[in-house]
Amino acid sequence: MKILVCIKQILDPDMPARDFKVNAETKEAERGGANLVTNIFCENALETALQIKEKTSGKVTALSYGTDDTEDSLRKALAMTVDEAALILREGDSNPDAEAVAKVLAAAITKLGEFDLILMGRESGDWGVGQTGGLLAEELGLPSLAFVDSIEANDGTLTMRRQTDSGTETATVTGPALALITNNEFNVPRIPKTRDVMMSYRKPLEKFSLADIGLSAEDVSGSSFYEVTDLSIPTKDVQCEFVEGDSIDEKIGVLASKIQPVVAANS
Amino acid sequence: MSSIPAGVPTREIYWNVPFHDLLYVFLVPTLAIAAWGVYRRVRLWRAGQPILRFDRLGERLDLFVKDVLAQGRVVRSSYAAFFHTGLVIGFLVLFAATTVVAIQADLKIPIMQGPFYLFFQSLTVDLFGLYVLVGCAMAGYRRWKTKPAKLVYTDEATRLVLLIGVISLTGFLCEGWRIAVTDDPWGGWSPVGFVFAAASDSMMSDSLMKTLHTGTWWFHMALSFGFVAWAPYTKMLHVLTSPLNIFTANLDGYGASLKPLDFEKAERLGVNALTDFTWKDLLDLDACTECGRCTAVCPANTVGKTLSPRDIILDLRELMHNNAPALLTTLGANGAGTKGADSSAPAGAIDAAATLPPVIREGTPLDPEALFSCTTCAACMEACPVHIEQLPKIIDARRYLVMEEAEFPEGMMNAITSLESRQHPFPGTQFNRTDWAEGLGLDVLGDMEDPTEAEVVFWVGCGGALVERNRSTVRATAKLLKRAGVKFAILGREESCTGDPARRIGNEFLYEMLAKGNVETLNKYGTKQIVTSCPHCFNSFKNEYPQFGGDYQVHHHSQYLQELVEDGRLLNGKDDVEKKLDRKVVYHDPCYLGRHNGEYKAPRALLDGALNTKREEVARSGRDSFCCGGGGGMMYIDEKPDQRVNQERASQLLESGADTVAVGCPFCATMLEDGVNARKGDREVSVMDIAELLLEAAGDDEASAPVAE
Amino acid sequence: MSNVIVVLFGNNGWDRSAEGAAGTGQRLAQSTGGNLNVVFLGDASKEARDGAAACAASVVVVNQPELAEYQPEAALEAAQKACAEISDTSVVLFGNDTYSQELVPRLAHRLGGCSLADVQGVTADGGQVLATRSAYGGKAMSTYSMKKTPVVLWVRARAMDPATPGAGGSLEEKAYELATPRLTITSRDVLESEGPSLEDASIIVSGGRGLGGPEAFENELKGLATAMHAVQGASRAACDAGWVPPNWQVGQTGKKVAPELYLAIAISGASQHLLGMGDSKMIAAINTDPDAPIFKHCSFGIVEDYKNVVAPLTEKLNSMG
Ligand SMILES: Cc1cc2nc3c(=O)[nH]c(=O)nc-3n(C[C@H](O)[C@H](O)[C@H](O)COP(=O)(O)OP(=O)(O)OC[C@H]3O[C@@H](n4cnc5c(N)ncnc54)[C@H](O)[C@@H]3O)c2cc1C
Ligand code: SF4
Ligand code: SF4
Repeated sequence: MKILVCIKQILDPDMPARDFKVNAETKEAERGGANLVTNIFCENALETALQIKEKTSGKVTALSYGTDDTEDSLRKALAMTVDEAALILREGDSNPDAEAVAKVLAAAITKLGEFDLILMGRESGDWGVGQTGGLLAEELGLPSLAFVDSIEANDGTLTMRRQTDSGTETATVTGPALALITNNEFNVPRIPKTRDVMMSYRKPLEKFSLADIGLSAEDVSGSSFYEVTDLSIPTKDVQCEFVEGDSIDEKIGVLASKIQPVVAANS
Repeated sequence: MSSIPAGVPTREIYWNVPFHDLLYVFLVPTLAIAAWGVYRRVRLWRAGQPILRFDRLGERLDLFVKDVLAQGRVVRSSYAAFFHTGLVIGFLVLFAATTVVAIQADLKIPIMQGPFYLFFQSLTVDLFGLYVLVGCAMAGYRRWKTKPAKLVYTDEATRLVLLIGVISLTGFLCEGWRIAVTDDPWGGWSPVGFVFAAASDSMMSDSLMKTLHTGTWWFHMALSFGFVAWAPYTKMLHVLTSPLNIFTANLDGYGASLKPLDFEKAERLGVNALTDFTWKDLLDLDACTECGRCTAVCPANTVGKTLSPRDIILDLRELMHNNAPALLTTLGANGAGTKGADSSAPAGAIDAAATLPPVIREGTPLDPEALFSCTTCAACMEACPVHIEQLPKIIDARRYLVMEEAEFPEGMMNAITSLESRQHPFPGTQFNRTDWAEGLGLDVLGDMEDPTEAEVVFWVGCGGALVERNRSTVRATAKLLKRAGVKFAILGREESCTGDPARRIGNEFLYEMLAKGNVETLNKYGTKQIVTSCPHCFNSFKNEYPQFGGDYQVHHHSQYLQELVEDGRLLNGKDDVEKKLDRKVVYHDPCYLGRHNGEYKAPRALLDGALNTKREEVARSGRDSFCCGGGGGMMYIDEKPDQRVNQERASQLLESGADTVAVGCPFCATMLEDGVNARKGDREVSVMDIAELLLEAAGDDEASAPVAE
Repeated sequence: MSNVIVVLFGNNGWDRSAEGAAGTGQRLAQSTGGNLNVVFLGDASKEARDGAAACAASVVVVNQPELAEYQPEAALEAAQKACAEISDTSVVLFGNDTYSQELVPRLAHRLGGCSLADVQGVTADGGQVLATRSAYGGKAMSTYSMKKTPVVLWVRARAMDPATPGAGGSLEEKAYELATPRLTITSRDVLESEGPSLEDASIIVSGGRGLGGPEAFENELKGLATAMHAVQGASRAACDAGWVPPNWQVGQTGKKVAPELYLAIAISGASQHLLGMGDSKMIAAINTDPDAPIFKHCSFGIVEDYKNVVAPLTEKLNSMG
């Protein structure tokens, strides 16, 4: 079974809120002292792929569209025991729209060969637009399923479980197919073994330019789908009233008296 | 005995013992058996990896005198001190006496006479013989009556105590009968023998005594020879291994006890087979006296966790003895101190190493859960009378689990993941590395035109900058440095974790990357001196960074502040002196400042001198301090509510009656504040860093503080 | 003139999400001078048909067996065909359920348009569609100018105002030829939850990592939720740990809720969590850490161990009736 996982490197979503600044000019977040990390759902996708590989054998390829910095994310994927990695070097707009990214990924995937399963994270922790996966499925003409949290592979048949508003659904598909992965308790990304971290430097990580995959910068200029026209940090001022009291009983009494009216009004 | 003039004090050797030359016949097999017993152990140690432990002979001899001959560490337990020292010195004296006999009898050199005979061979030997007898009685009393939990109770130990007792007793009997029958005029110089003689004289005839003497003498000799032959097969082997172990001990302090790893060459990262240990680690196993002091002081064990450093050592020892054949076949690979990987080891030897059982096994003392509850406090190593290194073995096993298996507690994983991507172990922190310094106008090395103008780098540390509780500590330190006119700067965003948590958790690889990065940054700015308020960072700089080319003069902030006070640069104005602190303080020694690096004085000097506080000491302080529970990555995992080291420590400190717990470490501050809050009841007790206290005394008036130019 | 289409799932009936989506569609259509059209995928109840017909110029119910239960490929193709039959469409709106989120980008691609997710506000001035939404895990607000037509969006419909009843329009049933799907949903497990869903709840009691395990959810918090007539929610940390089902998760990648009162117990208030509940009318918290970011968003709160608060609070509320 050949699995390809698309991963995105993003600005650390755990950076302290007070460190978060936006650049009004470029309409992007300032990197400041924050780090670049692999998007968590992409790591969930990598973990899902590796678990399938471990159960059935096969090969996992990681693919990313990014800059030289993105090599770190791909190395980490290799350390998680992904077999090979490919990096398409971004040209032009530093925040390309979802359609541009989907086109690049589709061209890269066609170049890299055939895959039975393509996995992506459900959305990224930076912009969180969540459109790339669906668009890629369209570009490649594949059936897709979103919010998938576990996959089993059996002789070419894939059984996917996904989360819905009210519970879960199970779907079957004969590959190739695309799944957008969400987190659950079973696909928490593994911590790479140090041995594998060391090995990751010996594994293949190929870099391609857009021209290598048959595209030009104009083809994927990055703002023909949508364009960010404003980015700002909302200010919200609420003053929390901390419940006071001499004893804990008293405090709880005050708390209850604040809650009770809302309960009464809504039941 | 005609060669000795009459009137010169001496005695007849082998009196009343026909065929005594037979002794020599028996001696040969006895020594052969004993030698084999020793050799079969030595062989096993040679299966370990190489490590240099026969260097720096002068220092080693010093240590030998201090801790073998003077029993420096044994005597810390007064009961054991009394009887064990008795046994050791007694044995040494008796051994010397036997040698004197041999010199006289076999080399025919008449030394056993005159005052030497009287004072040493008779009086001294007799008294120490008595000491041995009393020692046996005390050991027996402890074993059968008081039964402290730290001991291991085996039949072997019982037999050994009995055997030694009977040997010395029979010795006295023989002596007594000899004195009685020969009417030895010098008999009074052997007081114990003399008492036996007097008692026997009144009860039996000379001939009966002579008969009994001959029989008992042979019995005494048989037991003695038996003891010599048997001892190497019992825990008595420690008579040889303990001194050897002390001689080959780590000389560099606990802060420098972890071995670097050669990632290029290492076949296995960390340890999971006996042959991954060094020969010294294996020698440690045979040197253990089973005294249990390490486990008795272990904080994790104290709060009811399964970790027991003694049991780790004993379990490994058993594993080593049970797998002797397999170990021996690996000798070709590792033996005689050559490294297995690149030597021309026979293939079979390496296969044999692969057949060795893992050392990390669930349900044993080396269960991962136990291994990951060690706070790396080094109390065990400090307590061990024979300098066994328990902690490095625990870290070796952790290294294997973390780096080869990636299996370790979730909280530690989060810290490691955060270290990997954010260079600090506090995921989710709401602060960045410079927030704490807001408004202080500190110099940041990277922004300075001439960074060498900063004489000192103030290394803030993650625990100071990113943890709410400690931001006031590092702020206080910076303010004090400023006030004293110290030309210092911080690294700001360029600072990253020193790697201490990674190293103690067992991720040596990550530690190395962080360490190298920091050395590069510091060297870029030509750093010579560092002040830090984190003992863990302090330890890294002092003991670990030189290896990566980072040679700095490093000061803990308590040391540096104390120097500033002494030089009159802080707290020397009239106003300041009046503002001394009205607090009753108890100082908690941080493991990485105290035990790991031997600094107990500076913080106390500050508290007693400059701050003039009423200061209490608790029993577990200084060298014997009890960990706050935060070291070794334990800060990042949730201990079970009833097994919290920090609360146990808080209780100990609260018992002192102090209203202030003074600390010198951000980890201690967070752990103890939590512990004190849980245990203080309705008392008012605060946990304060030394720097916070000093600032309080000096007056924290930001506006009026003179800004250093 | 440019038209607006609102795509709904017949099975969901005329719920709050449908109302909000239709309301937003109506306002957009008014500003562009076009018509509001509602497309139901799958048979819709009378109430839903009436609700839609009351505000839309046309209502299309695509009613055929393949759509009786949601199947991604059938729904996509049906939506594509139904939308294609409505001319001059500038905006296609969806609500914020699982299925809508899944269909939006694919439908946009098929219609030659562009798409965006989790839209909190949308305007169409002078033919230029602008969409506002949070970004960077709630740390920022962003405005997007949409570049292709039609603009396909899923919006936070529950937080949007319903439509005002209008003239009332046509209603038509349709069925299309649909390709055989390659992917089929073969089973559905509904996780039992009594009472209203999280999204519909007016009071939510949520728990986080600080609770330390599933027991607190099952015991203390459940009791409190009952006393408060509330629905239980959780932070991702609690869901990831497996203490509660994943569909309890509130936040950026969980449920987006806006109840009258949101009580966060042992939740730190990470920006990603706030993103899912920041619109609540009133937020309160129980947390041991006075500096927990959640308090910056609270109207009131108590700095205490939840163990000392939840049980007595439950008792007190019960006694207050
Ligand atoms: C892309 C992305 C998407 C995400 N999506 C979501 C999402 O949808 N929803 C979500 O919730 N998170 C989400 N997160 C995760 C989010 O960043 C936080 O990690 C998570 O919300 C933390 O959950 P928590 O508040 O329960 O845990 P913590 O942050 O660990 O907080 C626990 C709190 O409990 C308090 N506490 C501890 N003990 C007690 C006690 N005894 N009594 C009272 N209080 C106590 C502590 O003071 C602390 O404030 C996302 C993250 C990313 C990167
Ligand atoms: S270092 Fe401390 S915690 Fe670890 S085993 Fe030794 S005494 Fe116990
Ligand atoms: S390791 Fe040292 S302290 Fe521990 S039992 Fe053995 S000899 Fe005693």
